[in-house]
Amino acid sequence: MAYWEMIFYLIAMVAYALSGGGLIYSFVFKNPKVVSKVTLLVAFGFLAQTIAIGARFNATGHLPWSGHYEYALMGGWFIIAGTLFVGWQNKQLQGLAVGTVPLVLIMLGYGYMQNPALTPMAASLKTVWLYIHVYFAWLSFGAYSLAMASGVVFLLKQKSEALGVPNPAYERFPSLGRLDELIFRYVVFGFITDTIMITAGGIWAKDLWGNYWAWDPVETWSLISWLTYGITIHLRVTFGWREKRLAWLAIAALSSVIICFFGVNLVVNTSLHVFQVR
Amino acid sequence: MFKKLIKYLSSLRFTILLISLLGLIFAIGLWVPQKRLLKTIYLEWQRNSPSLVAFLDALGLTTIYTSPITITLWLLFFLNLSLVLWQRWPVIKSRITLADAKIADPVTVGGYPFRSSYPLPGDLDGEKIIGLLRKNRYTVLGDATGFYGVKNRLAPIAFMLFHLSFFLILLGGMISVYTEFIGYLDLAQGESFQGELSRYNESPQPKMPEIGSPPSASFTVKSIVPRVVQNTPTGISVLLVDSSGKTHEVDINRPYTTEHTSFVFKHLGVSPLFAIKEASGVEIERAYVKLDVLQRRPDRFALGGFTYTATFYPDYVLDNGKRATRSMEFNNPVFFIAVEREGKKIAEGLVPKNGALEFAGYRLEMRDMPFWVRFYVVKQRGLSILYAGFALATIGVIWRLLFYRREIVGAVREQDGVRCLVVAGRSEYYKSLAEDEFVKLFNGIAGEGLKAEG
Repeated sequence: MAYWEMIFYLIAMVAYALSGGGLIYSFVFKNPKVVSKVTLLVAFGFLAQTIAIGARFNATGHLPWSGHYEYALMGGWFIIAGTLFVGWQNKQLQGLAVGTVPLVLIMLGYGYMQNPALTPMAASLKTVWLYIHVYFAWLSFGAYSLAMASGVVFLLKQKSEALGVPNPAYERFPSLGRLDELIFRYVVFGFITDTIMITAGGIWAKDLWGNYWAWDPVETWSLISWLTYGITIHLRVTFGWREKRLAWLAIAALSSVIICFFGVNLVVNTSLHVFQVR
Repeated sequence: MFKKLIKYLSSLRFTILLISLLGLIFAIGLWVPQKRLLKTIYLEWQRNSPSLVAFLDALGLTTIYTSPITITLWLLFFLNLSLVLWQRWPVIKSRITLADAKIADPVTVGGYPFRSSYPLPGDLDGEKIIGLLRKNRYTVLGDATGFYGVKNRLAPIAFMLFHLSFFLILLGGMISVYTEFIGYLDLAQGESFQGELSRYNESPQPKMPEIGSPPSASFTVKSIVPRVVQNTPTGISVLLVDSSGKTHEVDINRPYTTEHTSFVFKHLGVSPLFAIKEASGVEIERAYVKLDVLQRRPDRFALGGFTYTATFYPDYVLDNGKRATRSMEFNNPVFFIAVEREGKKIAEGLVPKNGALEFAGYRLEMRDMPFWVRFYVVKQRGLSILYAGFALATIGVIWRLLFYRREIVGAVREQDGVRCLVVAGRSEYYKSLAEDEFVKLFNGIAGEGLKAEG
């Protein structure tokens, strides 16, 4: 890790830890006023994370695209960017951070324990397809994470309303109907970017490995994940799965993406998607 | 009975069942070592648990992606898809058809959840309203007394495109599998290749195509220059000169592609020029030997009646009296060579580039140290169909899910003595989003009249 990268990485983690705590506090202790202040703290953490990425870029000459540490650094950045963007567009959605900030905090903590050594860009990554493939991969991960967060908020809000004395912390969120549609919209956005990611990956793989599809573990999981979200869309559109069922589906389906990004290479050491040549 | 079967085979319930089963099979393929994909791991596993492996072999779980059960599921999937497309086409056709029958009373029409009415300023005539709707990319039928408008009318066609893309991917994939040749080819700097099958490595054995011929490309390897920075391979430049004298550069991510064949760089090795001399200086033999030593494993070769075991140090250094390499960069390439005769070690020592090892009245010299590369040679047809399928899938999913249909029915009529635009609207997928859009649209239309009045 570069010196400033480490400093700002830790600052980002502290900011996310504090804001994650603040968000949970606002929900548990029914204090919605905290959310907008905590969002500022999330934005501060995001700024620190951006500087950490910049410092790493400065030290290595390339954006962090490969290995578990860089997945966590860059993937977390996309998820927080998405969270802040939707919160900025619609203040009612600032509270989605209650799902995404803890997720990113865990990712960053996990990433820190992996190998964050500064390495030059491996030859296999020097192609324009990397940017297309990885950029859309992170966009889809970000969107699926927001779908999960919307699902969490939907379930909490629905439970709160069913109690008869609603928690005021949920009042600032959109109505249950709109939240339900929001889950679906994030799933759709993720599915489109996921499709582009897989297509770009197939074309890249032909040049890099000689085959557009090789049943590599990461490839296979990405297909499983794509099929999972494809089924989710069909269940919603054709079978009318809405609200509670859709929310649970969005939460459960995210596990397939997390396995694809982090889980496969932990269990299987035969993946071609290990780019750190050491 | 037959009708019932067709109904089930064409149902979405069946699609979801098939996709779930295929997903499960893919997941099993990740945990059970596959015979073709992970041959070494599979063979080791077979040695350790022969009865379990035999059992899984019998079930087809070690060749799961091509097992009869997987192929059956794929066939059923494409049968299901064909039936769905066959049944959906008339529905899609009727949905994209523009017909006056679609004009309906906005107050009584069913299936339009958004309903509203907007008071209109005096000078906003019906023609202008229709014009404003068209300006907002609505295709409009009828006039102010009753109209039907639709935005992204052709979006349902994207459903067909997306699902048809699967057939293109299947077709391209099948052509590529049946015309596929795969082989590994080791070539050192200066070596030529004329397409001879005998030049391919024996292990793994080349896979011959079911249809078509093996590659016929011919070229000479002009130079091989690897690049390694801070222990990370950052690139390789392999220059090939083809039979017409044209030069091609192969790098990682940049194979040499000709006549449906790709020569993909896979592996690098060194091929030093060794010469063995007698004490009198007479050269007995010399040869370039391809050594696979860059993974820090020793390799063996024979020359002048001796056998040698060579260990390579690309950036040699003595570390606490032990032989080591500072990095994987080729800054100080040195071989440590053990010499054997009739299975008995007779000498060992270091041989740097342009250096020599003297033993038992002989001298082993290293005069040059070029490289060799292993190409993964793959010839397959049908890729353009496959890529067209990928492109169509991407276009289809974007078109279908982003450019969704919005429909409106409306009329200008008097309500409580006020001239109003009465409308009803509906959209695919995103009810709230479309409702916000309708509110903005109709407020805008009513506002246009006010602006004109102002």
